[in-house]
Amino acid sequence: MASQQANRLAAGGLIDRTTPLRFSFDGKTMTGYAGDTLASALVANGVKLVGRSFKYHRPRGILTAGSEEPNALVELRSGARREPNTRATTIELYDGLDALSQNRWPSLGFDVMAVNSLLSPIFVAGFYYKTFMWPAKFWEKIYEPAIRRAAGLGRPSGVADPDHYDKAWAHCDVLIVGSGPAGLAAALAAGRAGARVILAEEDSLVGGRLNSDGGEIDTIPAAEWADAALGELRSMRNVRVMTRTAVFGVYDGGTYGALERVNDHVPVPPKHQVRQRLWRIVAKRCILAAGATERPIVFPGNDTPGVMMASAVRTYIERFAAVPGKRLTLFTNNDDGWRTVESALQAGVEIAAVIDARKDVPARCKALAEDDGFALYSGNVTGVRGGKAGISHVDIGLANGRRTTVSADTLAMSGGWNPSVGLASHHRGRPKWQAEIAAFVPDGCPPGMTVAGAANGELSLGACLRSGHEAGASAAADCGHAGAKHTAPAATDESVAIAPLWHVEGKQKAFVDFQHDVTASDVALAQREGFESVEHLKRYTTLGMATDQGKTSNVTGLAIMAQLTGRSIPQTGTTIYRPPQVPVAIGAFAGHHRDENFHATRLTPSHHWAAERGAVFVDTGLWKRAQWYPQPGENDWLESVSREVLAVRNGVGFCDVSTLGKIDVMGKDAGVFLDRVYLNAFSSLGVGKARYGLMLREDGIVMDDGTTSRLAEDHYYLTTTTAKAGPVMQHLEFCRQVLWPELDVQITSCTDQWATFSIAGPKTRDLLREIVDPAEDLSNEGFPFMGVREVQLRGGMVARLFRISFSGEMAFEISVPARYGDALARNLMIAGKPFGVTPYGTEALGVMRIEKGHVAGPELNGTTTAADLGLGKMMSKKKDFVGRVMAGREALVAQDRQVVVGIKPLDKTRRLRSGAHIIPRGTMVGPETDQGYVTSVCYSPIVGQWIGLGLVERGRERIGEIVRAHDPLRDEDYEVEICNPCFYDPEGGRQRG
Amino acid sequence: MRIACPFCGERENGEFTYLGDAKPKRPFVAVIEDGKGAEGEQDAFYEYVYLRDNVAGEMSEYWYHGGGCRSWLVVKRNTLTHEILSVAAAPGTGAAVVDVAMAKAGTE
Amino acid sequence: MVDFVWNVRSPLQQAVMPGRAGAIVPFAGVKLAEIRDFDLVQIFARRGQREATAKAVKKHYGVDAPAPRQAVSAKGATLIWSGPDQLMALSARKPGTFRPVDALRESFEGIASLSDQSDGRCLIRMSGLQARAMLAKLTSVDLHDSVFPVGTAATTSIDHTAVNLWRSENSEDGSPVFNVLVFSSFADSIWHTIVDAAAEYGIEIETRSAASV
Repeated sequence: MASQQANRLAAGGLIDRTTPLRFSFDGKTMTGYAGDTLASALVANGVKLVGRSFKYHRPRGILTAGSEEPNALVELRSGARREPNTRATTIELYDGLDALSQNRWPSLGFDVMAVNSLLSPIFVAGFYYKTFMWPAKFWEKIYEPAIRRAAGLGRPSGVADPDHYDKAWAHCDVLIVGSGPAGLAAALAAGRAGARVILAEEDSLVGGRLNSDGGEIDTIPAAEWADAALGELRSMRNVRVMTRTAVFGVYDGGTYGALERVNDHVPVPPKHQVRQRLWRIVAKRCILAAGATERPIVFPGNDTPGVMMASAVRTYIERFAAVPGKRLTLFTNNDDGWRTVESALQAGVEIAAVIDARKDVPARCKALAEDDGFALYSGNVTGVRGGKAGISHVDIGLANGRRTTVSADTLAMSGGWNPSVGLASHHRGRPKWQAEIAAFVPDGCPPGMTVAGAANGELSLGACLRSGHEAGASAAADCGHAGAKHTAPAATDESVAIAPLWHVEGKQKAFVDFQHDVTASDVALAQREGFESVEHLKRYTTLGMATDQGKTSNVTGLAIMAQLTGRSIPQTGTTIYRPPQVPVAIGAFAGHHRDENFHATRLTPSHHWAAERGAVFVDTGLWKRAQWYPQPGENDWLESVSREVLAVRNGVGFCDVSTLGKIDVMGKDAGVFLDRVYLNAFSSLGVGKARYGLMLREDGIVMDDGTTSRLAEDHYYLTTTTAKAGPVMQHLEFCRQVLWPELDVQITSCTDQWATFSIAGPKTRDLLREIVDPAEDLSNEGFPFMGVREVQLRGGMVARLFRISFSGEMAFEISVPARYGDALARNLMIAGKPFGVTPYGTEALGVMRIEKGHVAGPELNGTTTAADLGLGKMMSKKKDFVGRVMAGREALVAQDRQVVVGIKPLDKTRRLRSGAHIIPRGTMVGPETDQGYVTSVCYSPIVGQWIGLGLVERGRERIGEIVRAHDPLRDEDYEVEICNPCFYDPEGGRQRG
Repeated sequence: MRIACPFCGERENGEFTYLGDAKPKRPFVAVIEDGKGAEGEQDAFYEYVYLRDNVAGEMSEYWYHGGGCRSWLVVKRNTLTHEILSVAAAPGTGAAVVDVAMAKAGTE
Repeated sequence: MVDFVWNVRSPLQQAVMPGRAGAIVPFAGVKLAEIRDFDLVQIFARRGQREATAKAVKKHYGVDAPAPRQAVSAKGATLIWSGPDQLMALSARKPGTFRPVDALRESFEGIASLSDQSDGRCLIRMSGLQARAMLAKLTSVDLHDSVFPVGTAATTSIDHTAVNLWRSENSEDGSPVFNVLVFSSFADSIWHTIVDAAAEYGIEIETRSAASV
């Protein structure tokens, strides 16, 4: 049964009472209103206990009303959409919301791990380091899982997130972070001046503290003023207001990361919409108007449910019309805390007492106590009685040394305000101490950023408005938008006087970091053990390292350390902040790029034709390539691949090789240019000829290989391997633009322009004669090996024909404009039908190149020289080229280098595996006997067994030697013969015939 | 990070590829005899290929605008603050005539 | 002997399905069109031939060569700046031609290098009131009117893949029109990325021949 919202005020608040929403917390159904957060709805329903703490499993209640919340973390939603560690204070209520408390078992009310609290003497700072240090191997298997079960936060869903996320860019002159009084004033000033403005607000509502603190601006109530300001901003075409958008990081060049929670406020995002969107905002100027965060006072029992930040009590009353309790006490060290008393009084909440830690309580406050008849104590809260049901009494130590106790169900605390300096220090800017407000303020910001309002330590409403206005106008002017002068919105400057108080001693635990369960005595222990630096304090105690990143605890922790060491706070210093300022889901960073969209994919011109034929595709880089074409009755890939190989060797087949990189190299000096990038000569290549080329890196190692053809005096057509197309293009541009800018050469990729098929096998010419215009001479004389020219195809088509072979067979490569690639595949099938033409995939291609001993990726592996590949003789001695000098280094020409050889197991039935190490017979396996490894393997239907290529020490001198292939991964060890890498037609008669 | 390409304007760093120090210049090779250039060229190339200063401060770097106009750029950047001080195009980016003397001058 | 039929197949043939897609809304926020049947030649000025190339462009196309970051309309062609001293010439395909560079060879002989890219790219046109919002998910380039007015061109990346993007005259409803040339092998993949980005606004998809735009 829905509860009655017992703690909801009859009127007021920025909630929509006409839209009641049902929700469930720990299985109990309750009701709230549109405009509530989960936290405010729980407050309205009188729920005090919302979670258990991380280490001691202590009962915890809601502490704050914002994104700094350390306690009220819940598992939101269920099933695949379950999201752990979600702050109840930032979850907008929706109908059907379902949340569970965390870190308790079996239930929130009765938690067996609360026994940790009794064992607390052993769970002190540095506990993990001290207890679980030894033996080291226990850590991963025993200690960590046990600790994770005992401590830890919520549970992830364990299944893939069904929702979508995306990423987008935004650009503006002025980005304003935060829409409180300073942010709104800045946006109005910059917007009116004509600047392109983005106003980012993490809340669903603009206004910030204006929605909680009352007051008047330009003589109208503050919330009304905020409404009007928003209306004006929305009417400006140059202003974009982004609510539910938290700026979480400042990056180089004026780039800001922001997370927009597009559909977190509904149970399931509407179809085609994302849950969250990650924004990269590029801004010429940024105004940080993120406000300030109220900090707790560290006193005994300060984590008991019912103890709440004073500003949060005010927010629940004013914005949500929900009162956290019936009898309120306030513990404050500053004037601002007293505003909570005024709010509570107006809402009809009974004030039990105010405990003001200051020696001199302002007369205005004393008068208020007198008028409204509540007790005002000068002193400190020294303890809190109560437990998981909330507090019952507050113990007070009076300034005069006496003690007293008042009964209360709520204790509001205010230790002062910490400006939200986080984003200002993302470029290592270190905040400075400002004694008047007893807090750190930014001191130097990332380039382009200024800070306004409370974030800059200007805590009063009037000051916020003035500094926001000035910052907005000045940022707009910096971007060339001077505009007409406007006056700043006006408000009074209420008093924010403070007398610092950090820690009240006592018997009970006094918490500094609520989320990580770090107490004042942990800080003291760290100090006793020598971890006095703030950086050590943080790591040793884990202070500030929880998901809230210490928003309520960092400053207090270091202030206590300062007291303990007798240093001032500026001397003690502060840690600084890194992105993200608020937690960001990994899914948002991934955006669209997950599953099949993880990266862009490339399709060949014959892809859909191959798919129709049932091809199996393989990812090679970004490409999808046909790996083999299974036929009915074939049982496994090996059967299909062997059939394809034999079909080529005995008849004719074709394969789409459009994935090879293709580059047009043009210009008067194209030949000279290629002479310098290849180790062999190209300026001497005749027009209409192709040549195999090898390219080195400047360090003398082979970079890539391929054939390059000369199509005209000033036009070469260069091909690269599939894998290296991009890097080679980049390298050639470097050579052209940086190394030899004097050469007249222009290069561009034409990989995607051409559909290219390799047609191979003894019946290649028969097939081609069917499709090529009969007037074309394809004989050895008319079209010699390594010849290139344009030919007419039957039916009105022009193609480029290259007589080159990778398979060792009689072969041509044929290229047509890519739009005809699909038609070419279909027409090759028709033309080749009389000859049993067989399409083959990359696997058969690989088998045939291994049979021929052609090197590919596994041999061009970034460690091999031209000589290692058996291609040392190609190196020209008549010209300079990239890599020439370094290739001559002693180690690169050493006699004992590992070079490419063929490898075949003595046992013809054994499957050779790549990666197996080559070890001499009769020796122990070890690094000193390791002489190389197997690089490429295949089953060769021609040889009738598994064969491979390998890199073996002095391999060429050892042809015929029997060695061992040792494969520790598969636990195999067998004898193999080192042989000539060319297993098939070593004389090369077939490809030239 | 954003780099102002002299041709395209300011772009995000995802469009660029980093190569490294732009200070070392490839030794100029005038004549080759039997695969060899001038005396001591191996030392000169060794220095060009491997020896780099690890600058904490201002440094010139090669960046490639491969996700845009495919120009090679020389970016002067402060490695401590990430501030970009200047961006210049490599000499051979466009069609302007660059004489060999200038290319040689780069070797000193 | 049979005679062979040479059917043209666009890399987007499978991906592009004319009609409505994405969110069901009265007026599609994004209109996508694949423009087919175009010739595209990349023109690079040779070293020392910048001015000569500009003159040849003027003579051949009757307009000034595009300044950096500009696209210009000429009679029968659009000239798109694509990098220092280079441009792309886009025109409707002349039926029966296989080598569009042949028609340019005489004008640019010895002063500019020409590379046929007619099949190397697919052309996608994006318009509609939400086209800019959609493109914000695909490109980091600022497409605001003040920065990217009609006639602006950019070489940039979508999905880490280089593209040419330019803005042509606004459509009749006043919404901006953006054109993007993507590498053909990536086109299918990028098309799906575009459709995903546009889905929330509702999409209207069509194919058009370059001769009709």
